[in-house]
Amino acid sequence: MRKFPLQDALCLAFCACFIVITRGAFRLHLNIPGHAMFFTMFFMILGRGCVPRLGAATLMGLVAGLLTTLLGMGKGGPLIILKFLLPSLVVDLTGLFFPKLAKSYLLCAVTGALGSASRFLSIIAVEWMVGVDWDIMLQHALISSASGVIFGTVGSIMVPPIVRRLSAHGLIG
Amino acid sequence: MKKYSPTERAGFRKSAFQYCAANSPIHRLGGGWKIIVALVLSAAAVAAREWWTLMILLALNLACYFSARLGLANFWRDIRIFLVQLSVILLLYMLKYGPAEGFWPGLRTGSQILLLFLPSIVLLRTTQGSQMMEGLKWVMPRRLSFLLFTSLRFVPFFIREIREITMAQQLRGAPVGIRRAWNPMHWKDLFQCLMIPIMVRALKTARAAARSAEARGFEEQPRS
Repeated sequence: MRKFPLQDALCLAFCACFIVITRGAFRLHLNIPGHAMFFTMFFMILGRGCVPRLGAATLMGLVAGLLTTLLGMGKGGPLIILKFLLPSLVVDLTGLFFPKLAKSYLLCAVTGALGSASRFLSIIAVEWMVGVDWDIMLQHALISSASGVIFGTVGSIMVPPIVRRLSAHGLIG
Repeated sequence: MKKYSPTERAGFRKSAFQYCAANSPIHRLGGGWKIIVALVLSAAAVAAREWWTLMILLALNLACYFSARLGLANFWRDIRIFLVQLSVILLLYMLKYGPAEGFWPGLRTGSQILLLFLPSIVLLRTTQGSQMMEGLKWVMPRRLSFLLFTSLRFVPFFIREIREITMAQQLRGAPVGIRRAWNPMHWKDLFQCLMIPIMVRALKTARAAARSAEARGFEEQPRS
């Protein structure tokens, strides 16, 4: 995180802010499980597009997780940080191999799906700790994360036109 | 149609897991202590395998919850999502082992998950953001805490900005707004008309805030 200029770090923190705001705003109007992944993946990939450096999405995920905890917006308390960190790690890993990630529809869709599917891992982590059987754990995680994958994928494919327009206007590199 | 209060319209309705003001010993306890107690109780829920240990933990958690004067209505709001989760786990266990064999292991596992999260819920319900930050600032790097404090400070600012941009775009006839967001037909307009101005605003605000912090010597000062 040291190597981020303050301006870039603040831009990422503001993207984390947007994740938290949209999460709070849409909780009131939509009661579909997994819909929060729509804007979470959208802003994570968008933030990575605005600051194309390794660790950008992770920083965003960390700030979003801490903000959500401080604002009392998640059922997991401090454990909710994991829910944001895992998708952000997926975005950073994909960005490491594909630096033009935010400009490609296909890469965004794949990253969005993988990032949303990482909720699967956080469910498995919790249930593995309390000793749930593997097959039940997998079935439950699959049921809980399926709709999130759909929302995350759709949210991610909204990123390329925005990044292209922002870079066409010289606002991002 | 359900009426929403101004707070609810802003997207932050009084709901589960949110801070609830009261005068109780749990509320008065320091943020750092509450984080430690919550972590210990959650770890105990992970380690517990016998019924009697789970019952003791449940009693401890309930004692903390109700001594914080949070009330039954809040308790119901907080645990209902876990009851759904518990019934899914119970169903999966009963499908795998049969109703008689699967009931108790399913109930035990579901209860363990509830007990894993209940201490965090008490923490969130009884600790204000500022109190929690006091506890966190000793373990967080200075730069990360600056980012966190700044973004927390900017949450109301960006809510206002989003509302103003939405209103301006609606006046121009764009089909944007939170009520139209559910319709996929409007998503393209929503993203073109809202997200680009919002991101431009975020980039400009980040530049101004960074310059302001640097002008005040933020990067040079050691932690006091």
